[in-house]
Amino acid sequence: MTLWMHELRLLMRQRLAATALALLAALTIAALVAGMAEVARQRAAIAAIPAAQNEDIGAIAAWVDKEKDAGSAAYYSFHPTWDAPSPLAFAALGMRDVSPYILRVRALGLEAQIYDGDTFNPEMALPGRFDFAFVLVFLAPLFVIALCHDLNSSEREAGRWRTLAALPNGGAALWRRRVLLRLALLWSVICMPFAVAAALSGAGFAAILTILLLVAGYLLFWVVLCALVERLGWSSTANAATTAALWLMLVLILPTLGHVAINRAIAIDQGAEIALAQRETVNRAWDIPREDTMKAFYARHPQWADSSPLTSAFHYKWYFAFHQVGDESVAGKVRVYRQGLEARDRAAHGLGWLLPSVGVQSVLTGMARTDLSAQLAYRDRIRDYHRQLREFYYGYMFRDRPFGKADFKRAPMFDAKT
Amino acid sequence: MIEPALPILIEDVFLAYGDHPVLNALSLNVAAGTVTALLGGNGAGKSTTLSTLLGFVRADAGRVAICGIDPGSQPEAARRNIAYLPENVALYEHLTAVENARYLLALSGDTQDRAAITDAFAAAGLQERAWDQRLGAFSKGMRQKVAIAVALLREVPVLLLDEPTSGLDPRATADFNALVLAVRERGTAVLMVTHDLLSAADIADRICFLEAGRIVEDVTADGPDRFDVRALHARFAVSAERLAA
Amino acid sequence: MNVVRLIARDELRLMARNRVAVIASVLMVLLTLVAVASSWAHQRGIADLRERHQHAAEEAFDGQPDRHPHRMVHYGTFIFRPLSALAAFDPGVDTFTGNSMFLEGHRQNTANFGDVNQSSLLVRFGQLTPAFVLQAVAPLLLIFLGYGAVARETERGTLRVLMMQGASRTQIVGGKLLALGTVALLLALPAIVGLVALAGQPGASALPMAVIVFGYTAWLLLWVLAIVLVSTLVRRSRDALLALIAIWAVMVVLLPRVAPSLAEAAVPLRNRLQTDVAIARDLRKLGDAHNPEDPTFARFKASVLERYGVTRVEDLPVNYKGLLAVEGERITSNLFNRYGSESYDAQGRQNAIAGAIGMISPAIALRSLSMAAAGTDFAAHRGFLEQAEAYRYSLVQRLNQLEADGVSYADDTAKDSGADRRKRVSADHWEAMPDFTYKAPTGATLAGRALPGLAIVLGWLAAAAALLALATRRLGERR
Repeated sequence: MTLWMHELRLLMRQRLAATALALLAALTIAALVAGMAEVARQRAAIAAIPAAQNEDIGAIAAWVDKEKDAGSAAYYSFHPTWDAPSPLAFAALGMRDVSPYILRVRALGLEAQIYDGDTFNPEMALPGRFDFAFVLVFLAPLFVIALCHDLNSSEREAGRWRTLAALPNGGAALWRRRVLLRLALLWSVICMPFAVAAALSGAGFAAILTILLLVAGYLLFWVVLCALVERLGWSSTANAATTAALWLMLVLILPTLGHVAINRAIAIDQGAEIALAQRETVNRAWDIPREDTMKAFYARHPQWADSSPLTSAFHYKWYFAFHQVGDESVAGKVRVYRQGLEARDRAAHGLGWLLPSVGVQSVLTGMARTDLSAQLAYRDRIRDYHRQLREFYYGYMFRDRPFGKADFKRAPMFDAKT
Repeated sequence: MIEPALPILIEDVFLAYGDHPVLNALSLNVAAGTVTALLGGNGAGKSTTLSTLLGFVRADAGRVAICGIDPGSQPEAARRNIAYLPENVALYEHLTAVENARYLLALSGDTQDRAAITDAFAAAGLQERAWDQRLGAFSKGMRQKVAIAVALLREVPVLLLDEPTSGLDPRATADFNALVLAVRERGTAVLMVTHDLLSAADIADRICFLEAGRIVEDVTADGPDRFDVRALHARFAVSAERLAA
Repeated sequence: MNVVRLIARDELRLMARNRVAVIASVLMVLLTLVAVASSWAHQRGIADLRERHQHAAEEAFDGQPDRHPHRMVHYGTFIFRPLSALAAFDPGVDTFTGNSMFLEGHRQNTANFGDVNQSSLLVRFGQLTPAFVLQAVAPLLLIFLGYGAVARETERGTLRVLMMQGASRTQIVGGKLLALGTVALLLALPAIVGLVALAGQPGASALPMAVIVFGYTAWLLLWVLAIVLVSTLVRRSRDALLALIAIWAVMVVLLPRVAPSLAEAAVPLRNRLQTDVAIARDLRKLGDAHNPEDPTFARFKASVLERYGVTRVEDLPVNYKGLLAVEGERITSNLFNRYGSESYDAQGRQNAIAGAIGMISPAIALRSLSMAAAGTDFAAHRGFLEQAEAYRYSLVQRLNQLEADGVSYADDTAKDSGADRRKRVSADHWEAMPDFTYKAPTGATLAGRALPGLAIVLGWLAAAAALLALATRRLGERR
C-alpha cells in the first residue's frame, strides 16, 4: 500500500502529470456540463410542446367546429411527435443536434413529411459536438500518451533505470504499478464526474457500470499501445512522436477513410428521390378518375370499402386516400432506402471492432440512443403514430361522422415510450 | 553446523551474448566484511559480472549466489540482500534528498522514519542543509552519499559499486572511500568494479584483474603497505596491453 | 544568407535521413491524393445526381397536364443548388444542409436530405477532404518533423558549437525556418495542385482560389513559426514535442468543438415547431381566412371592389379567388421571411461568436476562411435559401395571378360535375414558367467573405513572427 502512495506522490510531484490530470478532469466536467445543458434544452423544448400545441389546435378546433368537417380537421391539424433524450444522451449527443427530435405530422402523405429536418446551424454542427464521448474518444488517448509514453525510456534517459531495477520491488512490478496507477488516475478523473452526471441524469446502474468498464477498456488499449511502443526501446521523444502518430491514424484518419469507404460501398439513393416519386403519384390523382384512386385504396384497406360513393363534390376522403396511395406507391423505395441506411450503420459498428475509437463512439451513441439506428427507430414510431392518426380521422371521414371540438381531444397522442 | 552462505559467490560462470563470450569460467567469492576490487579494461566483463549478480542477465553455465540465493532464478529475493550504486547515481531531481531516500527504501520493501534517514545522511557525510533540498542541484558525490545512506539503512549484506570514484575530485574520493570502509566494518561484503587502481589499493582487501571474462590476477592485501601499487600498476598495464593485442 | 541556407540544408538532410519522417511525409502526400480523388468523385456524384433530378423535376413540372393553377401551387417544384466548383476542396456545410428543396405554396421549406442524415456515426469524426488534411493533419506532421529543430541543438550542446563557428542566432533560427517552411510548402503542394486542377471546372474563379492558397500557406507558415518558436523556447526536444502536440490538440481539435457549444448557449435558435406555431398565431392575428366576416379580408374585398368599381365579386373582370390567393401568399410570405430572417440572423450571430473565438484559435478562422472562399459556408447557403424563396414566391404568385386571369370566378366556385374541367388552364402555361437558376456569388464576393478569417490568420502569423524574433534574441542564454 505504501508503495502505491509513494508512486502517487512521485507522480503528482511532476508538473506535467499533475497538470494533465487536472486538465482532463476539467475537460470531462466541462463536456458533461455542456452535454447536460444541451439535453436540458432539448427536454425543455419537448416540455414546451403541449402549450404551443394546445394553442394551435385550439384555434383550428374553433373554426372546424362550425362545419364539423373531419377532413378539414385532419388537413389542418399538425400532431407533435418527439424523441425524448435517453438518460445517457448527455454523454454522447450523437446525431441529436442534426436530426430532428421533434416533428409534427399531419394525416396526409407521410413520405413528404418524415424527412423534414429541424432548424439547426450547419456551421455549428460541422465540427461535431463537445460532449463526453468526444473527450473520451479524442482527448483521453492524448492524455494517456502524455503520461505513459516514457515510463521506461525517461528512467533510462535520466540514468535511474539500473538503480531502480536493482531494488527488490523495483523490477517489472514497478512498471506495472506505475502503469496501473496512471490508468487508475486517468480512469477516475474521467469516470468520477461521469458517474455523478449519469446518476443525476437517472441512468441505470448497469448502464453506468458498462460505460465505466468501456472507459477502462479504451484507456487500457492506449496504455498497452504505449507499452508496446516503449518495448521498441526508442527515446522518449521517439515514443511520443510514434504514439501521437498512431493516435492521429486511429482517431482522425482511419475513421474518415472508413466513412468514405462505407458511403462509397453502400450506395444510397437520396431520400429526395422518394419524396419526388411520392409527389408524382399524389398529384397524378387529380388527373385520373377519382374512382380509380378509391379502388386502389379500398383494395388495400377493405375496412373502409363500404363508405358511401363519391359525388361530384369534393370530399376529403378522396384527398386522403390519394395521399395514402402515394405513400404506398413508394413503399418499396422506402424499404430499400432504409435497408441502405441500416447497412451503413451496421458497417460502421462493424468497423468499431477494428478501430477502438469508432467502437467506443458506437457503443456510447448506441447506449445513449443517439445514433442512426435510434433515429430510424424514431421514424418507425412516427410511422406507427401516423397510422393511428389516419385510422382515427378515417373513422370520421369515411363514415361521414361530424368532427366537433370534443373530437380533437380524442385524437391519438404520440406515445414517446413505444 | 551449517556454514553461513557466502555473501557473493561466483563459480565457474560462462556467459555469452550471441557468439560473443563475455564471462569465461569466472570464479570469484567475496566474504563478509571484506572489500574486493574488480579491475579490468573495457569489455573485460566487469559490468556483466555485476549484471549477473543483480539478476539482470542469467549465466549460461556455472553457479551464482547472493547469500545462497540464485539471482538468475529469484532476482527479487537476491536483490533484497544487495545495495547497488551505478556509475552515475541518478535520483529524482524534483524530490528532496529525504524524499528520494524514502522512495528508494519503499522500493526496497523498507520503511524508516525521518530521524533514521537523517542519521544515515549524517553518517554518510551529507550536510544538514542538503537534506530537504531538491536533488536537482546535487553533485555526483552528494548523490552517492544519499545512495550510500540508503544502503546503510537497509543493512544489506552485499554492496555492489560500479565505478564509484570516476569523476570525483580527490577530496570527494577520500570521503567516499572512508564511507566504504565504514560499511565494511559493519560486516558487509563489498564488490567494487573500477578503473581506479589507487582508490582500489587504498580500501580493497583484495584486487582481481579481469580479462576476457576470467580472473587473471588475484592479489590480497598484505602487511602495513597493503599493496605494492607500482607492481600492481605494471601488471595492470600488461594485462591491459594483452587485452589490446 | 549563405549560412542560413547551409543550416537549412543540414536540417533538411537530417529529415531526409529520418526514415520515420520520410514515411510519414509520403503517407501524408498519399492521404492528400486520396482526399482529393475521393472528395472530387464524391462531389461529381452528387453533382450528377442533382443535374439528373433537376432536369427530371423541371420536365415533370413542364409536362403537367391542363390543371387548375392552384393545383400547380401545391404540386410545387424541386430545385437543386449546383455545387460550387471549390466544394471538392472544402465541402463545408454541404453535408449538413443538403442542396435540394421542395418549393410549394403557403409553406417555406428548409433544405432537406443533407448527407449527414443518411450517414453512419462515422460522419461525426470529420470528413476526409483536402481542406481537412491541410487544416488538421499537415500541422501535426510539421510538428513531428520540426519540434527538435532548435531544441535538439540546445539539448545536445551543438547550438554552442554552431554559434562559436560564427553563425548568428538569427541565422540559425532562419535556417531552421527555411528548412521547415520548405517542407511545409512541399506538403501543401499536392493539395494546391489538386485545387488548381479544379480551376478547369466551370464557375471556378481565380480570386477565391488565390485567397485559399494564400490562406492555407499562411496557416502552414504559422505552424512553422510556432514550431520553431516552441523549439527555441524549451530546453529539451521532448518538451517541445509535448507542448506542440498540446497546442495542436487545443487549437485544431478542442476549440473548434467548444466554440459552437458556447455560441449555441449564448444564442438559442427557435425550433421549427415553435416557429410554425408562432407563424400560425401571427396569421390568425392578421386575419382569419376561414372566417368570411373577418375584418382584414372584408377590407381587402372592399378595396378590390372599389378598385374595379363594382359591388359584387361576381362582377369583377378578374377571378376574385385568384386575387385572394395572391394576397394570402403575400401575407404569409412576409411572415415566413420575417421568421426566416430572425433564424438566419440568430445563426449569423452564433457564427460571429464562433468567429470571435477564432481570435484565440486560428484553426476556426482558417476554416471559416476556407469555407467562405469555397462558397460552402453558411452565408453561401443562406444566399441559396433566399434565392430559392424569391423564386418560390414569384412562381407561386405567377400561378395565383394565372388563376385570377385565366379562370373565371364562376367556374372556380362551381361544384357541378363539369366544373373540374372548366377550372383547368392549358398546360402551355407551365412551360412558360421560368426555371430556377441559382446565381452563384461572384469570386469577389466569396473572397470578400473570406477576408475576416484571413485577417485573423495573418494576425497570428505576425504575432508568431514577432515572438520568434524576441525568442531568437535570447536563444542560447543560460537560464
